[in-house]
Amino acid sequence: MKLKFRDKVILVTGASRGIGAAIAKAFAAEGGLIIVNYRTSEAAALSVVDACRKAGGEAIAIAADVTDSQAVAAMAERIGQDIGRLDVVVNNAFAPYRFDPEQRQRFPEISWGAYRAQFDGAVGAAYAVCRAMLPLLDRGQGASIVNIVSDLVAQPSIPYHDYTTAKAALIGFSRNLAGELGPQGIRVNCVAPGLVHPTDSSAATKEDVRETLIAQTPLRRLATPNDVAGAVLFLASEWSGFVTGQTLHVDGGLVME
Amino acid sequence: MKVFAGHLPGLSRDDVEWREATFSAWGESVKVMLPVLHEAQARALCADIRAHAGARLKTMEVARIAAAIDAAIARLLDRDHPLRREAERLLPVVTGYDPETVRLGLTSYLKTFRLPQLKRFLAEDFGNPGVLDAFEPTPKGGFVRAYGPELLLHVWAGNVPGLSLWSLICGLLVKAGSVGKLASAEPLMAGWFASLLAEIDPEIGACLAIVWWKGGDAAAADIFLHEADTVMAYGSNATLAGLRARLPVTTRFLPHGHKIGFGMIGREALDSRKAAAVARLAACDVIRYEQQGCYSPQMIFVERGGPVSPAGFARHLGHELAAAASRHPRRRLSAGDAGAVAAWRNAQELQALDGAATVLGGPGDPWSIVHVESPEPLHPSGLYRTLKLVAVDSLEEVPALVGRFRHFLQTAGVAASPERLHRLAALLGAVGVTRVAALGGMTSPEAGWHHDGRFSLLDLVTMTEIERGAELAAEGFAPYVD
Repeated sequence: MKLKFRDKVILVTGASRGIGAAIAKAFAAEGGLIIVNYRTSEAAALSVVDACRKAGGEAIAIAADVTDSQAVAAMAERIGQDIGRLDVVVNNAFAPYRFDPEQRQRFPEISWGAYRAQFDGAVGAAYAVCRAMLPLLDRGQGASIVNIVSDLVAQPSIPYHDYTTAKAALIGFSRNLAGELGPQGIRVNCVAPGLVHPTDSSAATKEDVRETLIAQTPLRRLATPNDVAGAVLFLASEWSGFVTGQTLHVDGGLVME
Repeated sequence: MKVFAGHLPGLSRDDVEWREATFSAWGESVKVMLPVLHEAQARALCADIRAHAGARLKTMEVARIAAAIDAAIARLLDRDHPLRREAERLLPVVTGYDPETVRLGLTSYLKTFRLPQLKRFLAEDFGNPGVLDAFEPTPKGGFVRAYGPELLLHVWAGNVPGLSLWSLICGLLVKAGSVGKLASAEPLMAGWFASLLAEIDPEIGACLAIVWWKGGDAAAADIFLHEADTVMAYGSNATLAGLRARLPVTTRFLPHGHKIGFGMIGREALDSRKAAAVARLAACDVIRYEQQGCYSPQMIFVERGGPVSPAGFARHLGHELAAAASRHPRRRLSAGDAGAVAAWRNAQELQALDGAATVLGGPGDPWSIVHVESPEPLHPSGLYRTLKLVAVDSLEEVPALVGRFRHFLQTAGVAASPERLHRLAALLGAVGVTRVAALGGMTSPEAGWHHDGRFSLLDLVTMTEIERGAELAAEGFAPYVD
């Protein structure tokens, strides 16, 4: 059977753990060459590289803080030199955030700086990565950008104001980019997971919150990193060749749009 | 990774011979070092525990013991405590249960041993727990005091994490010097708990020991069996019979053999809204401890006549089991366990061939449900999320279907209206069921429950009475007698 991403080059930001690591491994299992981007967790990133190779793909790890445009430019240069092109960009990295429904800050307590930090981490990172990678994406055929957002934008079950607002902005960013890049054959879509478990970020979310979410979810469970990876692979593949500017919810039917 | 099991007051690690047992699951492995005591060490340990208990535990007020247990439990409930972290890390590897099941199971189990629950537990059996500390007046006249055993031996079995704490805490509450024999399949929690107690209240810590001997090593077992005056043992009937045969006739023997649990779902719980929620609760009981607890369901009886049919309920339950597998994955089964599951499935598929049964879930799925429309008597499942759903016209038929297992019955998980709950409970009690639980709560007995229908604390003690006549007679010898 032909592997879906044989000879394709895929950049996954924030790929040393959690959802990003699962996405990287899923692309690798379909034969892709994965650029495992990470900020500081080198050992974890190398173990993802190892897992990608074991899964049947190829992988390299490149450190870069995606909110730092110089670091991103350096990463693009290295990809350009080493590989020469890029077919898929997955903007998965996001600013550190603690998803703790009990300790979350309420609106009056949130500084504008917190909003700005999330905005930088979501839209700022996508902006820096897309700008730097665009010349490499142009050389491929049927290139695709997938941005990871959140179903909290559609239904803020827990109002994580700063995080969710930034993700909403990222959806707007993606639609505009889809409009502009469509004529060049580059598609831009978003994947909006519900609460993903298990990940480090969701570890503080208590059992009863999970139970409440599960009870409201038609498919009766939480998302796993692999569920998210499945949707990302679909939006990166030719199976979604006529889909752009969309947001695909991966939350078991919690949000229906 | 290497960890030492047991709790051996008075013996240093170098004095003892250790046997290594390796456990692997979830991509990790742990070496557990199990203590092997020489005969002289074992005898001396029993004598020490008995002497320390006599000199210290017996003279303490039960409130002090309960407070120490509470403090130890509080530490084990604290998710940042090093021992709790160790438990969350190692128990999944040792027992094979998924980490989430272990974490949630530990919390829901341990919280039944906090101080208020311990007090309720004492009140449940004694009414006036003061009888454990002193002679207390009785309504009929005279006085009474309860004495626990001098040396209580626990022989644990199975791999449900922390099950050992149950009997260990019972023994401590009645001031028994305790020696516990670790279950080879979960050899860690009892030792951790004992060492915490020793840290919190060293005088109590000196009154209990956690040991191990190889299953079937009669010579090693005999030393302990002959030293103890009461033996509380868990395991199969064959194991229990073997132990009983070797006990001196004066030793009190309290066996807890294997049990079979089942569920019952009334038509009133099967409407369009409730059916899915009930399926979720039933799935929870099936998944928690892979049906290996004495309280776990092996079969569920589903009543016809509700808006959701038994067949529809089977679909709901199948989906809940499938959905839960991502969060609570089933461990990779050993060849033996996989064989048992496959044999169970084969038997069901054979039945399905002639249309008598419907099998849900494929051979590759980590769960299987078989649904039958004609009444069948209770029967054990293949464990590991294999379950038979039996459709019945009325839940009132169920007692007759489970009655032949009278000596193996324990928990029934019931979803029915209040009136029927009581009516069914009367019928179930009459055929030997000792615990009627809510569906979803089958694997979490409440504080102070009567394990296998027995009085967990009262069964351990002997009562000494001062008769009214003795009191009156003593009056005659008083220095102030006129």
